[in-house]
Amino acid sequence: MTELASAIPRDNERRGLRLPGGLLQVTPAAVFILLLFNIPLLLMLSWSVGTGDEPLKYFAALARGSVYMKVLGNTIYIALLTTLACCILGYPLAYWMWSLSPRRQMLVLALVVLTFWISILVRTYSWIVVLGNDGVVNRVLRWLGITETSVPFLYNQFGVIVGTTNVLLPFLVLPLFAAMLKLDRRLLQAAESMGASQATIFFRIFLPLTIPALAAGSILVFILTLGFFITPAILGGGRVPMIANMLDLLINRMPRWETAAAISTVLLVLTLLFYAAYQWIEKKSRI
Amino acid sequence: MKTILQNSLRSFAAGLLLISASSFTAEAEVKELRMIEAGGLSGDSIEKGYIEPFTAKTGIKVTRESPAGLGKLRAMVEAKNLTADVVELSSAELEQAKALGLLDKLDWDAIKPDPIFPEAKMDEGLGWQYYSTILAWREDAKPISTWAEFWDVEKFPGKRTLPDYPAYILPMALIADGVKPQDLYPLDLDRAFAKLDQIKEHVSVWWQAGAQPPQLLKDNEVQYAVSWSGRVTDAEGIDYTFNQGQLDLTYFAVPKGIDPERKAAVMKLMHEITVAKNQAAAAQVVSYTGPSEGLDPLLPKDRLDTYPTVAKNKSVQFLMDPKWWYDHADEVEQRWQEFKLGL
Repeated sequence: MTELASAIPRDNERRGLRLPGGLLQVTPAAVFILLLFNIPLLLMLSWSVGTGDEPLKYFAALARGSVYMKVLGNTIYIALLTTLACCILGYPLAYWMWSLSPRRQMLVLALVVLTFWISILVRTYSWIVVLGNDGVVNRVLRWLGITETSVPFLYNQFGVIVGTTNVLLPFLVLPLFAAMLKLDRRLLQAAESMGASQATIFFRIFLPLTIPALAAGSILVFILTLGFFITPAILGGGRVPMIANMLDLLINRMPRWETAAAISTVLLVLTLLFYAAYQWIEKKSRI
Repeated sequence: MKTILQNSLRSFAAGLLLISASSFTAEAEVKELRMIEAGGLSGDSIEKGYIEPFTAKTGIKVTRESPAGLGKLRAMVEAKNLTADVVELSSAELEQAKALGLLDKLDWDAIKPDPIFPEAKMDEGLGWQYYSTILAWREDAKPISTWAEFWDVEKFPGKRTLPDYPAYILPMALIADGVKPQDLYPLDLDRAFAKLDQIKEHVSVWWQAGAQPPQLLKDNEVQYAVSWSGRVTDAEGIDYTFNQGQLDLTYFAVPKGIDPERKAAVMKLMHEITVAKNQAAAAQVVSYTGPSEGLDPLLPKDRLDTYPTVAKNKSVQFLMDPKWWYDHADEVEQRWQEFKLGL
């Protein structure tokens, strides 16, 4: 105990000494981000503010315009469904990975990470080959005589959610798996030795201890879905409008940058709020 | 001592002048032009038809970049940092760009154009390529010939793909509803959207890229499509008709604030675009056609049916009205989004 207490200040000292050097090292990156990201971001924010006596007119137009609200609502809805799908698929996957031997864990982990190396565009297009009207699944269904006409898997909300879930699943599984690995297995052994059933152990110990990591991962997936562009554009068939596609229209086709800036501001604030929630849960889960 | 200093200062100043003068002449001599165009085969046709003869004559290279878009033009003009000397715009975009003050006037005296159609000769734009929005279908689907039939999903069953651009589908909806092409404008928006409601549930994709309709037809995702003509007239397994097609043209324009020397070079490039022989060469690459009045005899006989402006095809189509589309852009876009969202 005394050893531990004396170790803490020493650790702080070391950190205190290291700080200036670290600051120096991050300066180029910080300047780079400030110049190339933060300043344009501020400029973008200034676009959203109108001139004269009505500085909030673009935001007011957003609130009045049912189109923008509906698209924003639709985006949040898709993000929620994607998050749910990721949880339903991701939690059992992470749990299964946790239960494997270390060697097999590495193998499955490599397979999960592998998906990061394939471009989102390729992964999105491959769904057309799999789920399209003349795709593999529909051909098999027709061949087996289960359906006569093709099942419309794509070019609707279902198609978009399949695509986004596919791309974002690793973002949930990896942190969740890491949290599971950190879990003290002795707790589970203690429960077992006290005669708890497997179900009790899972629901009363394992699940409650990993829920914060699941929540943090879910918020991450949710935030990432909010800004998705390629997947809804390809798998939505222009019928599943999301906010990023709306922005593309406003910036490149209209070009109505003030409205686009106002929408971006709303999106940025929303994202920051969710990110704050993510940080809060992450911190909680670490204790 | 004083004179030495004065002399050296003087020679230094002279040196500076010389350097600046030489850099000025280096700038004045245009070696390369940059162009933003729509890309695809249409871009290849610019290379073959117009850039090759232009570079052969003047020694100036032209670098192409795609895709085009009003957003890019606005960004570069407002940032006062022109990254292109000539940009491609659709007819409605040209009106918008004019209104936003993004364009320089063309110098038609310097272009010295060969005879071209009047709608191709605007103060701010040279209409360089005609294209049509037409009906296309899979060869194994029942052939159709009018917009009324396209709307008739009972007699002509199958999925449809329609453009996600109101300007390329609202006029068709009205014609399908019985409006005569010459009575289209001003467009009756209520009637057009009501007609679109009838077909909405049979539309599997609202396409945004011209490459989508032929691909969707080939993949058997849809059986009937509204497509830009050049994308389907030479495609295998796809039938089409120019009947009741909408004829439109895209323009080349010059961004505001362009360097005069570079503008002069662009005017020379634009002259090449008005030459019928060059247009015929471009039409070999993609079946769109240039603005020359006497182009028909120069086009390849066996592909004559595929060109939007040959007399036989031009006579069964109608022209779009960019001025009307510009005047109503906001209203139409708002209603278009509402329609797609089912509001």
